[in-house]
Amino acid sequence: MTVPNDIVIQTHELKKHYQMGTELVRALRGVDVQIRRNEYIAIMGPSGSGKSTLMNLIGCLDTPTSGEYILNDQPVQDLDDDELARIRNREIGFVFQTFNLLPRATALHNVELPLIYAGVSARQRIERAKEALAQVDLADRMDHKPNELSGGQRQRVAIARALVNRPSILLADEPTGNLDSVTSEEIMTVFDALHDEGQTIIMVTHEPHITAHAERVITLIDGMIESHGAQVGSPVVGA
Amino acid sequence: MRILEGIRIALQQIWAHKLKSAFTLIGVIIGITFLIAVITIVEGVNRYVQDDFAGALFGVNTFTVVRRSQVSTGPESEERRRRQARNPYLTMHDVEVVRNAVANAWRFSYSVDRGFSQVSYNERSRKNIRVIGGSEGYETMQGWDIAEGRGLSPLDERKSLKVAVIGADIAERLFPDLSPIGKRIRLGANRLEVVGVWEKQGGLLGVIRDASVLVPISTYRQTMAWRRDRVEEIQVKMRSTEEMEGAMLEVEAALRRDRKLKPDVENSFWLQTSSDLLGAWEKINRILFVALPGLVSISLVVGGIVIMNIMLLSVAGRIKEIGIRKALGARRRDILLQFLAESSTLSVAGAAIGIGLGIAMGKTVDALTPVPASVPMWAIVVSLLLGLLVGVGSGIYPAYRAAQQDPIVALRYE
Repeated sequence: MTVPNDIVIQTHELKKHYQMGTELVRALRGVDVQIRRNEYIAIMGPSGSGKSTLMNLIGCLDTPTSGEYILNDQPVQDLDDDELARIRNREIGFVFQTFNLLPRATALHNVELPLIYAGVSARQRIERAKEALAQVDLADRMDHKPNELSGGQRQRVAIARALVNRPSILLADEPTGNLDSVTSEEIMTVFDALHDEGQTIIMVTHEPHITAHAERVITLIDGMIESHGAQVGSPVVGA
Repeated sequence: MRILEGIRIALQQIWAHKLKSAFTLIGVIIGITFLIAVITIVEGVNRYVQDDFAGALFGVNTFTVVRRSQVSTGPESEERRRRQARNPYLTMHDVEVVRNAVANAWRFSYSVDRGFSQVSYNERSRKNIRVIGGSEGYETMQGWDIAEGRGLSPLDERKSLKVAVIGADIAERLFPDLSPIGKRIRLGANRLEVVGVWEKQGGLLGVIRDASVLVPISTYRQTMAWRRDRVEEIQVKMRSTEEMEGAMLEVEAALRRDRKLKPDVENSFWLQTSSDLLGAWEKINRILFVALPGLVSISLVVGGIVIMNIMLLSVAGRIKEIGIRKALGARRRDILLQFLAESSTLSVAGAAIGIGLGIAMGKTVDALTPVPASVPMWAIVVSLLLGLLVGVGSGIYPAYRAAQQDPIVALRYE
């Protein structure tokens, strides 16, 4: 199947099954999605819809039971652990609901982490980490530990960390779930800014006012796509 | 890089939880402290024995003729001593034979000695002493220095005068506030006038000398000897080691001739040198060096098991952290190296502390005893390597467990 080459993510019949005791759980039952560069996508769905599973597969934290996943023109569904780790390091920037920062490390060291695993030299790492923190307006807090930062600041450190290795996609899982409404808006503004700068953003959420920031909303139910949320005029695969 | 990260984290953890770290490292610390302390002390005693002890006790280039070997270093020498039990006692005739065989000896003397239950002065006494009857030249041969009074003279010997030179310990015990010179001490039924006191010898063998009484051999024979003709030891001192070796051959040949020993028969006497004593020490040395690794290993294995358990706990409590790192791109081997670096840093830190304590113990021994104890560099290097080895060995299983974590499962923790 030929696709236009500004397609960052392309999946075909993506399935994920796993054993829960004696039961076989079909988390994803054949999902086709297509995400282009610089799109801002929201993925919605009730619990049990498979949106977490889809996010884990897109984020290369896991491999599908069957089906194809092409990331930046490279099939990644059959990669081994080490190769997946490399992809995660280079192409994916995670932002989690619970921030997931290392509690005993400074903001700077937290942001440095992906660069350490990328094998970047110490001097370059520090420079790039400082740049990333500056991008989210936290340059003055780089020596603080997470417990010395507010929720919003922690999430911004997490975003800086996700950006530091210049990934193809930012993958955010309920990024404002642990924040109050004011801080949530701040963080959404950061994402908007990043989108304006060319970043591809995929955000999993169940809050409608968050999805309003996205260009398109993909809805999942019972492990299948219910709607691609295509905007008027843009091409869509499957249906 | 991951290694540096691991080391950094490990040092942070050790410092943040000093008490817990101390308990974790106790096995390794004890093992290494013990290793360093024993090596230091053994090397020190080695040097002491070789430089001070053997030289002082025996003198260089000195050998003695005795009835049977006095040093036992194991089953063979035990066996030999048993055979030698039948050797005849040395006599004045043997003295003449030996004297003629080494006409060019630098020094020559002979002696008898025995234990004595006590020596006393008025109401004071010192128990379990040694009484030596020495020929002319005996004191010079031994090289003991006089602290007070004088040594024995040829006149004492010729006239069998009832005089004695006493060791420092006897002097202290019998004459705490006055000078012993001129006083009469009692040895059994005999009264002897003290003419001199030796300097305190101290040290491993000096304590025997300090509790000895020297009388002229003629006096000894008249007052205390069972058999007047008997000699315990004949001492010969040459000017050089080569001369000594040559002299020993001469003496051996002369005595064999005199006793008409057939060529296939063993000597019925024994020539003893300082190397016999050194040989005995060498044996002890070797035993220690075999036992030591065994004991240290036990300690280190225990220490390693403790570290492993602490690391397992640590891994169990950091599952989420592992998930985060993996999500950010850490491969299995990155996680493995990180935790291995942590356990190794712990262990090497323990070894370093053990080295410090071992050095302190060595310095204490050095200050409080005549043994010159200083830590050899190779022992420090070996200790650090052992620390590393224990760290890697004990950390490999926990690190493996950490590396195997599934990132999705791990991220869900807590």
